[in-house]
Amino acid sequence: MRPVQLFCWHFMAYPYLPDDFDEKYDTGWVTVPNSLWDREKTDGLYQEYIDQLAYGEELGFDGLVLNEHHQNIYGLMPSPNIIAAALTQRTSRAKIVVLGNLLPLHLNPLRVAEEYAMIDSMSGGRLIAGFAMGGGPEAFNYDIPQPQARARYWEAIDLIKRTWTEDGPFRHDGPHYPLRYVNIWPKPRQTPHPPIWIPGALSIETMDEVASRGYDYFLSSRSHGSATQRAALRFADIIKKYGGTFHPFRMGILLSVYVSETDEQAYEESREGVFYFLKNCLKGHLRKEGRTLTFGAGVPSTSVASWEQYLKNSEPGAAMLGDAKDWKELDEWGSITVGSPKTVRDKLWSLIEQAQVGNLMIQFHFGNMKPELARKSMRLFAEEVAPALRRDSAALFGRNFPQLEPAGSTPLLSNRSAAE
Amino acid sequence: MAQRTLNIRGRKVAVAELGKGTPLLYLHGFADIHGATADWLPFHRALAERFRVIAPAHPACAGSDEDEDIETIDDLAFHYLEVMDALKLDHVAVAGACVGGWVAAELAARDPERITRLALIGASGLYVQDRPIGDLFWEAQPSNGTEFHGFRALMFGDAESATARALFPDRGGDIARELMRYKSMRFASRIGFAPPYFYNRKLRGRLARFRNPALVLWGANDALVPLDHARAYADALPKAKLKTIAGIGHSPHVEAADQTAKLLTGFFGGAKPKPRARRKARARTRGSASPSRRGR
Repeated sequence: MRPVQLFCWHFMAYPYLPDDFDEKYDTGWVTVPNSLWDREKTDGLYQEYIDQLAYGEELGFDGLVLNEHHQNIYGLMPSPNIIAAALTQRTSRAKIVVLGNLLPLHLNPLRVAEEYAMIDSMSGGRLIAGFAMGGGPEAFNYDIPQPQARARYWEAIDLIKRTWTEDGPFRHDGPHYPLRYVNIWPKPRQTPHPPIWIPGALSIETMDEVASRGYDYFLSSRSHGSATQRAALRFADIIKKYGGTFHPFRMGILLSVYVSETDEQAYEESREGVFYFLKNCLKGHLRKEGRTLTFGAGVPSTSVASWEQYLKNSEPGAAMLGDAKDWKELDEWGSITVGSPKTVRDKLWSLIEQAQVGNLMIQFHFGNMKPELARKSMRLFAEEVAPALRRDSAALFGRNFPQLEPAGSTPLLSNRSAAE
Repeated sequence: MAQRTLNIRGRKVAVAELGKGTPLLYLHGFADIHGATADWLPFHRALAERFRVIAPAHPACAGSDEDEDIETIDDLAFHYLEVMDALKLDHVAVAGACVGGWVAAELAARDPERITRLALIGASGLYVQDRPIGDLFWEAQPSNGTEFHGFRALMFGDAESATARALFPDRGGDIARELMRYKSMRFASRIGFAPPYFYNRKLRGRLARFRNPALVLWGANDALVPLDHARAYADALPKAKLKTIAGIGHSPHVEAADQTAKLLTGFFGGAKPKPRARRKARARTRGSASPSRRGR
């Protein structure tokens, strides 16, 4: 049976903000002045972050995750494809998950089809192709009108899939991207095409589009608990409606973890990085203070009916994840799991058991965390948390999803730790 | 409130009407009927003492359906040509505030003989170098979780007046009004979010086509559409008068309702539409300009 797939996600935060950043600036996004960028300190920063991901493969993680953000301090990857290209040369086994290219921000979907095909080819078929719409800040960054974005997004995805699966040249007559000659070189390595993952924030519309096309769903929430299970159940229902079968690998979630020898040590070592991340990186995104750009009337991406539901069901001015002041408050969000190997193992296991989700994308580096701490946490996770999660999840999924293929039947999905 | 619903190619367009007499087509802005409130404002009521005020709601606003086909101001202008057809407004005075003013100006450039008189209040639509229109969408995002002070400051000279707070409350106030704001932004995103930001570079030159009287009315402290845009409109429209109201922001129709209504009533009251005579006179002076080129 296939065990849970463990991915190492790096956001590549800007780690050199001044101590008074939170007092002085109302957001870490879009308008955060780039005079704060330090040209000297950042020498070697990308190299360090790429090295951490390569270390993830060495430790036996199943895949490495990248994503796209612009004009912000939260994630320094305006083009995750560039980092993915670097990883194709530094790694040989791990999946490379780009989650994803923000399609409405690209002038022409062909460019994304081409670059993903290059990455897939250069990596020997290791790409997992994510497509995202781009949230509030990105709408401002690239001036993307939100009411039209969804239609453009799905047209682009359908076109890209055609470029990978149909022989060209062909003509595409869609309303948003009409093209006379579609005929990409290279084609991707994987057949019929790289796995396609689509992030969503629980909306039924997105789950519907994903399930109807047979793609996999990634829940982009940073908080976990019963909502994660509800999302999985809802997605399973929708897959069923389209005649498909849900299994744990149809879905992924984002987790954040710091592991050290003891709980106390874990809190002590991760405090600076975690709270830098919460206070600075999430400011303008998941914090009440400052200007939240992620969703709202200024970036009206959801339908009027969905927004009405949101207004009725949300508490105005409620605290968000980034507002957590201490470990106790943070713990209530079920977002960042900090502790000894046993603590982390137990918490993650209860989430896997409850939600039955098979792809765990784990953030190990937070804000300005020292590289050696992030690496230590990754190593302890790989050595003392991952084996038990893999063993127990394989058994659990085997019982609950007997139709799943046995481990090893798809060579690209086998993982070294399980084989060792 | 008298309200009817038009069906324009399968989509609902809500139209509010008030008053009797000469029709006056009113195209709304954000701090306005359909934009922030379901009711007429005192300004509209004052106008309605002299005119039959006809106020359609923009697509997605109030009771009007959203229109997936609207992606540019051009699409919106054609939408309103169809609305005018449906309302049988062949020769009509038009007033517009903010984006409504932009639409009115676009209509005047496209179908100049159909519009007898044109009044623009704090209208967006023009490109004026170094005088960008304020970022409405940015300010529509709350500060500190609930506050919309910045949005009100774009809309009004006094962001914290009782009226300002009633029309655009902070989160936690009135869900109905918040939803109206969301719908307004949904509408506005379609024509203004992508560059160019709430303007059409070609409009200024095209306004020379509109040879009927125009009134350009502006709050001197407009924080959304800077006063230089008023001057640009007044320069571009061949028969325009510019009136500015001191101490007032982007919404004279809310902030100085009586004065604005009086100015408009005076301006439109002078219009005794004699379309046939005017058109004949125009046809004589302009030679080949055919009055029937609309082909309707």
